[in-house]
Amino acid sequence: MTDTQAKPRPRSSLPVWLPVLLGILVILALFAWFVLPRLRPYQFNGTVIQSEMPSTNFTLTSADGPVSLSDYRGRLVLLYFGYTFCPDVCPTTLADVNKALDQLGNKAEDVQLIMVSVDPARDTPEKLAEYVEFFNPTFVGVTGADEDVRRVATLYNVWYEAHDEEGASGYLVDHTATLNVIDEEGHLKLLIGYGTGADAIAADLDYMLR
Amino acid sequence: MKRFKTRWAVAALALAATIGTVACSEDAGIEISDAWGRPSPSVATAGAFFMTITNNGAEDDALVAATSPACGTVELHESFMNEEGAMAMQPVPGGEITLPAGGSVVLEPGGLHVMCIDKLQDFTEGADLELTLRFQNADDTTFDVEIREP
Ligand SMILES: [Cu+2]
Repeated sequence: MTDTQAKPRPRSSLPVWLPVLLGILVILALFAWFVLPRLRPYQFNGTVIQSEMPSTNFTLTSADGPVSLSDYRGRLVLLYFGYTFCPDVCPTTLADVNKALDQLGNKAEDVQLIMVSVDPARDTPEKLAEYVEFFNPTFVGVTGADEDVRRVATLYNVWYEAHDEEGASGYLVDHTATLNVIDEEGHLKLLIGYGTGADAIAADLDYMLR
Repeated sequence: MKRFKTRWAVAALALAATIGTVACSEDAGIEISDAWGRPSPSVATAGAFFMTITNNGAEDDALVAATSPACGTVELHESFMNEEGAMAMQPVPGGEITLPAGGSVVLEPGGLHVMCIDKLQDFTEGADLELTLRFQNADDTTFDVEIREP
């Protein structure tokens, strides 16, 4: 009985350091939540190019006249090489880029896709324009004389080769199907391989436009 | 006498129906699912059809040819990455796609596809394009390929 009536614990016995500890924990939690993710370097889905060399300018022909890479300084350029007869790889990539731009919202205005035809014999500028604009009205298609296209492809390590088929295709053009991402200052910064997918492309572009 | 003839006719019909059913059940070994093609502009003269082909039969079969009123010519193709790291395309080696017994073969972007050359119909979103596949053993099968995003 005397036990239960023991004098109440004095209030001051609550350790003084407890609120301080709680405060520190809260600050640590906030730091971990908001700051740490920003400190971790972004992992690109594409392959990052370390070179600070500006990419070489070029001029080819679109349905609306000459197009130079330098026309798009200040925007991200996705430089792609393909051809309109290509039924599988090129439509997949162009549709993926279109979906990625959709995800970027307003930021998509700072991205320009240019498709260079590796089949200048069959792809007229008009045909190319109709082809690329089907996937996204902002896409630009360019072509030129064989040797001009070859020179531009070589600048970007793009390999392509036409080969005859016994079938009805006439000939097919095998080609590097990588998206070359050129930054706002004209540096080739990123290579996005075939089959990377819209979400992964959008994430990389979003980070580059941060 | 007339009634007797009728009976024979009925019996013959029943026999024919039975044989027909057996033939059909053999065809049921091949199953096509998820047949689609990507929308493409009319200026693109070629298109590709993708699908999953399942061979439920007990014996291997092979897809040997295809035809479509939507295409001037149909070929069996494959896309692949070549030794240059470039994406290449060619008619399938041997001209056929093997369908192992009890297995599925997936025709998908960047791999196997049924190639539609000289498109005669538009690959507009929502269109259904008729395609007939010819097999080594199973009977021809005709179905619609839906034009849509994957
Ligand atoms: Cu093909």
